[in-house]
Amino acid sequence: MSASLIVENLSKTFGSTLAIDQASFSVPENSFVSIVGPSGCGKSTLLRIAAGLVRASSGRINLRGQEVTGPIRDVGMVFQAPVLLPWRTTLDNILFVAEMGGLRAADYEGRARELMALAGLSGFEESRPFELSGGMQQRAAICRAMLLKPSLILMDEPFGALDVITRERMGFALQTLWEESRNTVLFVTHSITEAVLLSDIVVVMSPRPGRIHDIVEIDLPRSRTTATLRDPRFVAFAARVREGIEAGETEY
Amino acid sequence: MADTSSLLARFRPLLFLAALLLFWEIGVPLLGIPGYVLPLPSAIATRFMETASIQLQGLAVTGMTTLVGLALALVFGVLLALAVIYVPVLRSLVMPLLAAFNSIPKIAVAPLFVIWFGLGVESKIILAFLLALFPVFVNSLTGLGEIEADVIDLSTLAGGSRWRIFTKVRLMNAVPYITDALKVAFPLALVGSIVGEFIGGNSGIGHLILFGQFNMDTPLVFAALVSITVFTTLGIGAVSLFERMALTWRPSQRRR
Ligand SMILES: Nc1ncnc2c1ncn2[C@@H]1O[C@H](COP(=O)(O)OP(=O)(O)OP(=O)(O)O)[C@@H](O)[C@H]1O
Ligand SMILES: [Mg+2]
Repeated sequence: MSASLIVENLSKTFGSTLAIDQASFSVPENSFVSIVGPSGCGKSTLLRIAAGLVRASSGRINLRGQEVTGPIRDVGMVFQAPVLLPWRTTLDNILFVAEMGGLRAADYEGRARELMALAGLSGFEESRPFELSGGMQQRAAICRAMLLKPSLILMDEPFGALDVITRERMGFALQTLWEESRNTVLFVTHSITEAVLLSDIVVVMSPRPGRIHDIVEIDLPRSRTTATLRDPRFVAFAARVREGIEAGETEY
Repeated sequence: MADTSSLLARFRPLLFLAALLLFWEIGVPLLGIPGYVLPLPSAIATRFMETASIQLQGLAVTGMTTLVGLALALVFGVLLALAVIYVPVLRSLVMPLLAAFNSIPKIAVAPLFVIWFGLGVESKIILAFLLALFPVFVNSLTGLGEIEADVIDLSTLAGGSRWRIFTKVRLMNAVPYITDALKVAFPLALVGSIVGEFIGGNSGIGHLILFGQFNMDTPLVFAALVSITVFTTLGIGAVSLFERMALTWRPSQRRR
């Protein structure tokens, strides 16, 4: 597997605070990589740097061999909030990224409908965001990020605002969408279970300044189900990630 | 049953108005108030019918200056807001100036506009424009400017140019703010037109009111007020209708 995204010795300071300290890791092509770490360790900042929205203070980021120096067009983004435009229908919200890219929305309508079906949103094409539940809105946001098959999808705690039950279902919905598209995904979460369940690789960060404490390869077979959650290997991986977070918290 | 009660609810304001007029018609003579002070609704209605064509002519003039002033306020209010949003330097230059300008009572300087622009429609249009400008500008600034940072990031990452972000995000976001502003700006523009007519000129509803006052024709003054009220109600009604048809996604317009 070749690396799609390479983060090398990346540091970021805001004024006098060091938010990220010398982070290095890579995201292989077509893999699902999670970043877990406590609040404030620089996960969102890292994603924004990877997208080219924020400049790093030092270090480098490469996407498919190209150094990232400004906003990259070939990236899909999912935020903690769905960020849907209230005046657009759900279908038109998903097609929004095509329109912004100067593409003909009509050419992507078929794919948008397919993604909606995979995400369990069939029948809601013409609904406005306020007619959808929070979980449905977030699924629409994921469909939108996948529409143009970008070389990288960045997700910043996309399920953070959802309740535990919905959250678990959303995890499996995301797995279904991802297995269809096999986009390269960099996924930020607070949830250890979510990270281990969805990922090929889990990057564990420690807080203040954000450092990479551990990188765990999760070689559990796919597709993963609720049964996976009881697999002793799953439990062992989750324990290792938790140890990493806890060790990171006391280390400094 | 539900039907009759909802029908009743719909006509309740009209029924209330009718009751008020009836009370006025019967009560005022009992109190001994003379007709030149407070004319009876029936007298106002008669005078309104008698002067219908003059009323219409007056409304045509006042309506024209009001709507032209409002249209100019709409164009320049939006353009000014855009300039302030896209050229940050302008914000520090324009905002204090505009705030200072808005604190001048424009009615008080209206005579100046008559000196500068004459007794014709120009001075009325400019007054209407100036009174309507501020609400349009302020609301446009909010509607065009206050876009969630995440929406801008999302658009940028999808390759959105400034122009596309402007037409597909900022402008769409601003529409309800601007329609709200229009509902405030419309009566203000009307005030501008009528004050302009009070100060100078020989046409329009404002002139008709002055004419009625000059001749102690109180029913005519009231009839002119009725004309203005109908005009304002129709104007604001048109904006509300647009909102109900086009802005169904707004929380206030959602049908649950
Ligand atoms: N624009 C900014 N200006 C100044 N400091 C910032 C800025 N953005 C982030 N920071 C700081 O950088 C650190 C990391 O922030 P970041 O939002 O990346 O954390 P996070 O890991 O995403 O946290 P959470 O899990 O709570 O979302 C924090 O200490 C924060 O205060
Ligand atoms: Mg964050």
